[in-house]
Amino acid sequence: MQRYRVRADVYLLRRGAGLLVVYALLLVVAVIMAMPLLWMLSTSLKDLVQALRVPTPANWVPNPAFWDNFPTAWNAAPFAIYFWNSFFLAVTTTVGDVITSIPAAYVLAKMKFLGRGFLLGLLLGTLMIPGQMLLVPSFILINRLGWYNTYWALIIPWTAGVFGIFLLRQFFKTIPDELWDSARIDGCHRLRYIFQIAVPLVRPGIATVALFKFVGSWNAFLWVIIMTDKVGLRTVPVGLRFFMMDIGTDYPRLMAAATMAIVPVLILFVFAQRQFIQGIARTGIK
Amino acid sequence: MKLPTLRQGRRFWWDTLEAYVYLLPTLAVLGLFTFYPFVNAFLYSVYDIRTRTVAGPVVHATTDSTTWATTLARGRIPEELADALLKRGVARDDLWVRLRQADRWVVKDEASGQEYIIVREGEDLRVHQATTGWAMESVGWDNFARVFRDPDFAKALLNTTIYVAVSVPTTLLLALLLATLLNRAVRGKALFRLASFLPYITPIVAITMVWAWIYDRNYGLLNYFLGTVAGWFGAEFNLINWLNDPRWTKPALIIMSVWRFMGYQALILLAGMQGIDREYYEAARVDGAGPLAVWRKITVPMVTPQMFFLLIISLIGSFKIFEEVLILLQGPGPQKSALTVVYYVFTKAFDSGHYGLASAASVILFAVIFVLSLFQLTVVQKRVHYER
Repeated sequence: MQRYRVRADVYLLRRGAGLLVVYALLLVVAVIMAMPLLWMLSTSLKDLVQALRVPTPANWVPNPAFWDNFPTAWNAAPFAIYFWNSFFLAVTTTVGDVITSIPAAYVLAKMKFLGRGFLLGLLLGTLMIPGQMLLVPSFILINRLGWYNTYWALIIPWTAGVFGIFLLRQFFKTIPDELWDSARIDGCHRLRYIFQIAVPLVRPGIATVALFKFVGSWNAFLWVIIMTDKVGLRTVPVGLRFFMMDIGTDYPRLMAAATMAIVPVLILFVFAQRQFIQGIARTGIK
Repeated sequence: MKLPTLRQGRRFWWDTLEAYVYLLPTLAVLGLFTFYPFVNAFLYSVYDIRTRTVAGPVVHATTDSTTWATTLARGRIPEELADALLKRGVARDDLWVRLRQADRWVVKDEASGQEYIIVREGEDLRVHQATTGWAMESVGWDNFARVFRDPDFAKALLNTTIYVAVSVPTTLLLALLLATLLNRAVRGKALFRLASFLPYITPIVAITMVWAWIYDRNYGLLNYFLGTVAGWFGAEFNLINWLNDPRWTKPALIIMSVWRFMGYQALILLAGMQGIDREYYEAARVDGAGPLAVWRKITVPMVTPQMFFLLIISLIGSFKIFEEVLILLQGPGPQKSALTVVYYVFTKAFDSGHYGLASAASVILFAVIFVLSLFQLTVVQKRVHYER
């Protein structure tokens, strides 16, 4: 009996020590992960003299905090326009993507029709196409459509997406068929059924799709610099690049601008963490 | 594929019609902006496509061709040109160098859309008003031949391959270890999720700017950190010139990419690990398997579907590296040590206006990715464990 107790103690002790190691390692990783963003924040609150000190731990906290970088960075470039554009494009493309994805996802999840298997394969195949391969043909197409330097070029091509369709399809699949059968008997049209009955049931899925689309659109860069060359059409990331080209290595101000670009995404993430995590967890499952 | 027959009944055909009505918006957008450009990418690769800028009346001439050439090559507007155009009512801030070639530049006035072409004439440079149109000419395999002969493209392909070959496995391996740790931890997961997810969703341009600062030779965080660690061991540390030393630009890109994607990948693997049936672990414990054996024989094989998914996604994603290079190095890096394939495509098309050539280069990129994906789907996937 005695021997077993000792072994149990040793087991618990080893388990405890193991957990301690786990947490220590996790802490180190978490610090490394968070460091660049903390460093950005720290630098954004320093003046140039403070920023160019050796980054000893004591110099991490700006002392005194120098808030001027934010207004001067904001006024050094038309950031109000950039933010408005990013916001406007993110909202319009997100709404467009969700509206086109809902019926498409429902159809692919619930209906049997000619060419369904082929379409699923085709849509899955588009995930294999590297978007960068399409830059030149898209650029020529946008020019031929006369959309160069217009909002159309930045909105319409992004109002449909395969990611949203596949994610929503998984959600729609979980709705029992009997629901549609009884709705149909009551004389409900399919389109009304989709948007009024099925959609409320898959709201978490829609929130996830919308969030990813919104963030993706907010971060859009390459497409925008290729399809436009007007200041008035710049998004925040594009504006940031031009800001960086203008002011060079004035890092405190650059970090203030970078912070401003990141904060909206950060707020969104904090409020909708669950949807993000759900999206992540679902993408990995085959 | 099993084709339905007419015997499927009226309902089936009505459903088919209805289904395509609902799919129409999606198919229209994807058709026009994904499938059509995809086909065109191949088509354009056998054409010489340029915007042909036709010169109109001369607006200005200069003898200071050296200054002009160097300024324009950097994408800036020469003072003299700005002054000359200002007299014609063109604001300096609206001017922009749209095309940069050896002896030919196109400057565009954003406000009016008017273009000006600058061409060499003897010792002088002349500025013409200009109009631009598209010109296409079939050239067969010429573009491919030129791309393959271009040492820059070979360099771009090599750089990209090195980057992918190092960063993809490193990220995945670290993510696997991280997910294992997270799977062990009972508390604090939410906080950790935040920390590991942020790098993935923050705008890449903003985050790359932050890294440019971290990589600063004299005041950067990384050199300070490495110096401190080296100091603990009494080793000597020479400040690394991350962004200006051709040996260090690729490691700089790799470190940043590992940092960005490790947490995201770990979260996906963690989701997989949490889905593993407890019974497997209990059976292993009964059999007296140690923790390492359990990890190797149960945990890892059970998340191979997730690992496979991540491998494909990150391989395709890594081959597309571009923004990182543009922002971090403000160009292809010292001695073109960070010139990547997409960067090559981008400059060929949108700086020098060789659209056909750029198409050919992007078709080659696609071929590389396609073959690798095919290899994974056939050979690697055999080793993936799918639960039935």
